[in-house]
Amino acid sequence: MSAAVMGAPKVPRLRLPQGREALLLITLAVLVAGIGMFSHGAFWSRINLDNLFVSSAITLIPAIGMTVVMLTGGIDVSTGSMLGLTAAIGGSCFAAGWSLAATVPVFLLAGAGLGLVNAVLIIKGKIPPVIATLGTLSIYRMIVFIVLGSNWITQIPPVLTRVFVVDHVLWLPVVALIALGLVIVASLFLRYFRWGRHVYALGNNEEAARLAGIRPERIKLAAYVMLGLLTGFAALLTLGQSPMVQTSTGSGFVLQVIAAVVLGGTSLSGGRGTMAGTLLGTLVVQVVDDGIVLLHIQPFWNGVALGVIILAAIGLSSRRDAGGM
Amino acid sequence: MAPVELKGIVKRFGGVVALDGVDLTLVPGETHALLGENGAGKSTLIRVMTGAIVPDEGSITVGGTPCRFTHPAQASAAGIAAVYQEPMIYPHLSVLENIFAGAEMTGRFGIVRRGAMASVVRPLLEQLDLPASLLVRRMSSLSIGFQQMVLITKALMLNAQVIIFDEPTSILSQAETDRLFVIIERLRRDGRAIVYITHRLDEIRRIASRVTVLTDGRVSGTALTSDLDEAKLLTLMAGKASRDYGKPLRDRAAPAHGKPALRITGLTRAGLYQNVDWDVPAGQVTGVYGLVGSGRSEVALAAFGALRPERGTIALEGRPIAPRDPAEAMRLGIGYLPEDRKLQGIFATKPLEANLTAGTIGRFRARGGRLDFAGLRDEALRLIGHYRIKARDETIGIGTLSGGNQQKALFARWAGQSLKVLILDEPTRGIDIGTKAEIHDFIRDLAAGGLAVVVISSDLPEVLAVSDRIIVMRRGGVIGVAEGAAMNAEAILASAVGADARAA
Repeated sequence: MSAAVMGAPKVPRLRLPQGREALLLITLAVLVAGIGMFSHGAFWSRINLDNLFVSSAITLIPAIGMTVVMLTGGIDVSTGSMLGLTAAIGGSCFAAGWSLAATVPVFLLAGAGLGLVNAVLIIKGKIPPVIATLGTLSIYRMIVFIVLGSNWITQIPPVLTRVFVVDHVLWLPVVALIALGLVIVASLFLRYFRWGRHVYALGNNEEAARLAGIRPERIKLAAYVMLGLLTGFAALLTLGQSPMVQTSTGSGFVLQVIAAVVLGGTSLSGGRGTMAGTLLGTLVVQVVDDGIVLLHIQPFWNGVALGVIILAAIGLSSRRDAGGM
Repeated sequence: MAPVELKGIVKRFGGVVALDGVDLTLVPGETHALLGENGAGKSTLIRVMTGAIVPDEGSITVGGTPCRFTHPAQASAAGIAAVYQEPMIYPHLSVLENIFAGAEMTGRFGIVRRGAMASVVRPLLEQLDLPASLLVRRMSSLSIGFQQMVLITKALMLNAQVIIFDEPTSILSQAETDRLFVIIERLRRDGRAIVYITHRLDEIRRIASRVTVLTDGRVSGTALTSDLDEAKLLTLMAGKASRDYGKPLRDRAAPAHGKPALRITGLTRAGLYQNVDWDVPAGQVTGVYGLVGSGRSEVALAAFGALRPERGTIALEGRPIAPRDPAEAMRLGIGYLPEDRKLQGIFATKPLEANLTAGTIGRFRARGGRLDFAGLRDEALRLIGHYRIKARDETIGIGTLSGGNQQKALFARWAGQSLKVLILDEPTRGIDIGTKAEIHDFIRDLAAGGLAVVVISSDLPEVLAVSDRIIVMRRGGVIGVAEGAAMNAEAILASAVGADARAA
């Protein structure tokens, strides 16, 4: 940012990727090139790409909500259980013979409702977000066991898979297109709308924001409910990808979401991060996942990779916050 | 714009009266300096003016209209803004967003209009001689001086007619200070009312045209700076000290020098203190007087092993020591009662008994290495009785006691140990007058028993009341030692605030 050029400052509207985002783009390119080569072309097959896009979309949609939650300085670790429970509730409706159109709102409302529970615990109960959602993580998962018992729900209408996963628009599965659209909307919202800027202000300095007349509670409430809603939608899409509900549906999911957001450069202490970063972070996480399958590496290594990604991303951010980078 | 008037402002926190009927009139085009010791009520007064707290009694009128601020947004709407000592910023956001946070200009659908915001703020930046390129900089990349300028810009953007500066220069360099003064002068000439809070006498004479002194939550005097010479200003500031302790409380004959218990020579740590010498004899109370930022607590922390010095020596009874941590200092016989008792002193959720015996628990051993609970309880009861700690019983949580009783308990904890030197940092801050006097007596008793006691305080009457000799510190250095008849409120205050050089 040279001072001379800024004589009559134009506030930049479109930024070229820089810093974290450029690093992620390069990482992604290297991963894709490497996996493409060593998988003997399997990576570039239509089936694999579609699969990659669908999985990415399912992670990305809650990651949008998680980004906003983390921008306010919070976190939600119950997302995986929440996805499992909404899938069990919505799946039960399918099993009872409800139509797709009647069941979609059930998914969304159930997700939003569970997000609201988290929000109330955190805002009204004044419980730190990690602890509050650790509690609901356990509770939501146990309710899944109570609802399902030892049964699986397999009566998922095939139309769900067809509409969201099989059908393509412009070379992309519909769900990937929806996810991309949501990222763009969220990005515009965060950057250009008053509430979006208040999210950042709150995450930067809650006390100053309160003194400036911003109401932190409202923004946090909206963030957790929005994350719940998006998680409910992701639960629906999960059933489109693999049409059955088990008691383990969604376990391990939250790790992917948090890894994607943190890798994308969103600060754990709030106030910094972008949707573009989250999009790239999600793609890296999913390409690694895909590569482990394609290269016939034992799947346990995927969990190791996720852990390393989270630790490395946070390590990098802490160094940056301490003045490095 | 019409003047702002505060009348009879009263604010109580629990039993403590922070503001006791304060009147203050702010006139457009005038810089009004607000003076007072720590705890005199300055910061409470600012918080009342900016709507951060609601006063219990009294009225605020802006231009003749009575106002009642229950939220900071109302005060800023009425044109009152504050620039705090440590700027309240959003570090990761741009300067433009820092200026408009919470007051964004929006178009349809709540879309933020950055271009419009930039064009509103650009002439304001020009007014402050700031480059327009500043707007896109990230706030955390600016120096504190520039961050203050951004907050001033914000005050102008809100069209503040009253701007309060809370010790703004305490963290600024000389160049940044000069620049700030130019800006303040310009704002004043534009017809704004400026409130300027400071400890530094030279600054008052440089920019303020009127001075109000706060003492114990009351206004002890208001005067035009031009009517005041150095001596009068000092009398005004020292008002309470001269009034309360005009005549010596006890025999002030210079005491015979006991053997030095603690001797600090040439102690230096860049940025905090330089070449500090302290001589603390056994059997006496040595007062250390200085304003916040004078380095007094930092020197004490060095002797206590909590903050390493870079150069210099610390000797205990003639032997050089270099404690690496507080545990080692305590083994050597040095105790330190910290300034902030909530943060550094009490174990709030633990019972009174555990708090009293925390330092001596190692002595109470029964057979088989288990604790001697009966002995601990007896010791706690003895201390409660001796120091007249008002508590239901020894099992009550210390957090539920009043501040004065908490402080007595902490005092008892240290007094119960076999120490050579005890350092007390602001031992009576925020404590009622009665308990204060009791603690002063305890301090004298300890010294009479042969202990070397150091009392660090920015409360001049307190230092005068308890000390046998007084070390005065300013900006990281010792600038004088007063004993016997030389222990006079005005002289000590003059050297602490840096007036003597000018008066000479």
